Amino acid sequence: MISPETLVFGVLAALGLISMVATFMAVLERDLLKAVLFSAVQSTAYAFMFYILMAPDILLVYVPVAVGLYPAVILFLIKKTERFEGGEEE
Amino acid sequence: MIDVNAFLFSVLVFSLIMNLGISLYGIFWRPSLVKKIIALTILGDTANVLAIVVGYRAWIAPNRPPIPPVLTTWKPTAADLSKFSSLAVDPLPQALVLTAVVIGLAVTVFLVFLTIQVYRLHGTTDVRKIAKLKG
Repeated sequence: MISPETLVFGVLAALGLISMVATFMAVLERDLLKAVLFSAVQSTAYAFMFYILMAPDILLVYVPVAVGLYPAVILFLIKKTERFEGGEEE
Repeated sequence: MIDVNAFLFSVLVFSLIMNLGISLYGIFWRPSLVKKIIALTILGDTANVLAIVVGYRAWIAPNRPPIPPVLTTWKPTAADLSKFSSLAVDPLPQALVLTAVVIGLAVTVFLVFLTIQVYRLHGTTDVRKIAKLKG
């Protein structure tokens, strides 16, 4: 029988690995629109991590800022500038 | 016998440190300014999560989790306070991170404004092309 402590630390480790993969994809992706989406996935993993690490007040600030406002501001920036890293459509 | 909980916690800390490394790579070696801003937000968030992880505490028993640092009574008795101090996680990193999240948002909006100005003046967000410009 798995104990609650092991379950909680297992979920934390899984969220860490998900965020690591999402960060890797976000940094290496050449389409900036997809990079923003991967960055939002990573922020969602961090939001669950804050909740499990007993910081619910951080969660209330972090979810609107990192899942809502960061992608919105960067999408606005991509709309004003260019979409592909290293020039348009090579 | 390997300690499973310590191993899983090490996996968490390892993935956070890998995130720091990957986002530093994105800041220093990716050419696009937009990609640099995305990597900077990831770097700031990872530093915040590391601060919260430092403030977490060990479980006193496998079925007694730590509690959030919130007192739920108006006039706490000595028994309430001793239960609080033996179970609650550290509130100081949470107070610091709460401020850092908001400051990070302000810095990001400022950098977005600067990048829009660079694109209006030079017509590109590629630092390799901006470095070759004269004047």
